[in-house]
Amino acid sequence: MAVLHAWRTARVTPLGELHTPPRMTAVLLRLTVQVVLVASLWHGLYARTGTTAGLDRDQAVSYAVLAVLASRLRELEQSAGRDTVIQHMHYGTIVYWYLRPLPPQRYYALRALGEQLYGFAWALGGYVVCLAAGVVEPPGSAAVAGVFALSLLLGQWVLYYVMLVTDQWCFWALRNNAALLILIFAQNLLSGVYAPLWFFPDWFVTLSAFMPFQATLSVPLSLYIGRIPLSDAAGQLAIQAAWVVLLALFTRFLWRRAARRVISQGG
Amino acid sequence: MSGSIEVRGLSRVFHTGVRRPGFTGALRSLVNPERVAKHAVSDITFDVSPGELLALLGPNGAGKSTTIKMLTGILTPSSGEARVAGLVPYRERERNARNIGAVFGQRTQLWWDLPVRESFAILRDIYEVPRAEHAARLKEFDDLLDLSSFWDTRVRHLSLGQRVRSDLAAALLHDPQVVFLDEPTIGMDVVVKEQVREFLRHQVEERGRTVLLTTHDMTEVERLAERVVLINHGRLVLDGGLDEIRRTFGSTWQVRATLADPHTGVVPLPGIAVLRHEGPQVVFGPDGPDAPSVHQALKAVIERYEVTGIAIDEADLEDVMRTAYAQAGAV
Repeated sequence: MAVLHAWRTARVTPLGELHTPPRMTAVLLRLTVQVVLVASLWHGLYARTGTTAGLDRDQAVSYAVLAVLASRLRELEQSAGRDTVIQHMHYGTIVYWYLRPLPPQRYYALRALGEQLYGFAWALGGYVVCLAAGVVEPPGSAAVAGVFALSLLLGQWVLYYVMLVTDQWCFWALRNNAALLILIFAQNLLSGVYAPLWFFPDWFVTLSAFMPFQATLSVPLSLYIGRIPLSDAAGQLAIQAAWVVLLALFTRFLWRRAARRVISQGG
Repeated sequence: MSGSIEVRGLSRVFHTGVRRPGFTGALRSLVNPERVAKHAVSDITFDVSPGELLALLGPNGAGKSTTIKMLTGILTPSSGEARVAGLVPYRERERNARNIGAVFGQRTQLWWDLPVRESFAILRDIYEVPRAEHAARLKEFDDLLDLSSFWDTRVRHLSLGQRVRSDLAAALLHDPQVVFLDEPTIGMDVVVKEQVREFLRHQVEERGRTVLLTTHDMTEVERLAERVVLINHGRLVLDGGLDEIRRTFGSTWQVRATLADPHTGVVPLPGIAVLRHEGPQVVFGPDGPDAPSVHQALKAVIERYEVTGIAIDEADLEDVMRTAYAQAGAV
C-alpha cells in the first residue's frame, strides 16, 4: 500500500531540477546545439544525393533529430542529486532504502518514472518546436502516431531495465562507471542515436537484434519515419514486450540477491 | 512487547576473501581465493525495556553497527534471534520499518537536491502518516530542534548540525516506538550536541520511545543513559548501569605529576600506566588487576621521578571506559 502513497518519490528529480535553474538552462542549451548540429549534419550528408540506404533526406533528418530528443527522456548521468545506487553504496546511505516500508525496487521504479516523465516533457517541448520549425516531419498517419507512441513507451521500459541492471551491478562491484560508459556507447550505437542502424553492415544489424538496445529507440523511430511499415509493427512490438518481460524477471532476481549484499560500512 | 528489544544469542559471521601479499600472492588469490570467517558479533544477549535509553558501547570494530543492522532488519543473523517491538526484524522487514527509526552518523537519508521540508513530505507519504498528524509532529520537532530556520533550504546547503537535526526529525516523523542512533552527534559542535541530547531526552521521557544509542562521546552517555551494554570483539563484556560500570572499572585513580624536567623520559611503572601527557604534566593510572593503591602509586611516582607538583584525580567516565575497553580487549 505504501506504493500508492509514495507517489511523491516520483517528484524527486523534477523538483530537484526546478530548484536548480542553471541545470535546466544547460539542458536547453545542450538540446538546442545538438538538434541544430545533427540537422545540419544530415542536411549536409544528403546535399548531393536524394536517397541513401532507402531513406530520403527528410526521413533521415527526422530520425536523427528525434533520436537526440528521445535520448533526453532519461539522462544516463543522474549523479547530481546524489541519489544513484553507486552514490548510495559509496556514502553508505543505501541502508535507508532497506529501512522504509517502501521496498527498494519500488522506490527505484518510482524515481525512474518521475525522471522519465520529466524527460518526456523536455522531449515533447523540443518535438513541438522542431515540428513547427519544419525540422521534423509529422507522422504519416494517426495510426503511425499511435503505434509510435506505444513502441516508444515499450522502448523506454526496456531502457529502464537496462539501466537498472547497470545500477544493480553496484551491489557486487561497488562501482559501475565502466559499465555505464559501455552502456552509453552501446545504447547510442545500437539503438541508432549516432546513425540509423541500416547504415551498418548486415552482420552488425543481426548482432544488435540479439541485444535489447535496438528495442529502446531504433524500433519506435523507424516506425515513426516509416522505415518499418505498419504491417510489421505487431512483430516489433511483441519483441519489445518480450524484452520487457525478460529483463523484468532478470532484474527481479537481481534485487533479491542484492538485498543480501547490503553489508557495507564497518562493524 | 510494545517498544521493547529482545536479543538472544545473536551472532553474525562474515566470510571474506583474504588477499595474499606480493604479486605471486595476488595471482594465487585470483586463481585460488582463500576465504576466512570473521565473527563480527558472537552470542550477544540483552534486553531493552520500552521507554528506556540504552547506550551500546565499544571500541571501533567491536560489532555495534552490525548489531544495529541486525536489529533494523538490514542484516540476517547467522544464529540467534532478535525481536524489536514484537517483530523479528530480518523476517518482517517492511512491518518492522514502520516501528523503527534510524540515524546512521553523518549518513543522511534526506534528498540532496530538495529542501528539507520536501524530504519530510516524501517520508510522510512513504510511511502513510496522516497530514494533520505530520504537521503536529513537525511543529513539536521544530520547537525542540529549531528546524523552521532552515527547512526551506536544500539539503546540500545545510551545515552538518542542521543536517543531523533534520535527519533526527526525519527518522522520528512516523512516530516509531524504537529508535536506533548510530553515533548521531559525531563531528557536531557542543551547542548542537546539547540540543540533540535535549531532543532525545524529550523523546524518551515524554514520548516513551525506546532508544538504542551507540556513541564514543562519554558526556553523551553520562547525560542520557542509565544503562550501558559494552561489547568488544563481537562479544558482550558488560551489561549494567553506569554506577555498576564505575564500580567495576572506575574504582580507579589518576596521579597527575608535574615533572621538574619536562624532557624526562617517562616509562610505565609496575602496575602503573602512563595515561597521557598534558604539557609538563604526566597522568598516571592503574594498569591491570594487580595495580597498586593510589597511595602506593603516589609513592612510586615520587620515588621514580623528580616532581614539582602532584595531584590525585577521580577518574571521569572517559577514563572508566578506557579502562573497561582495555580490560575487555584482554578478554
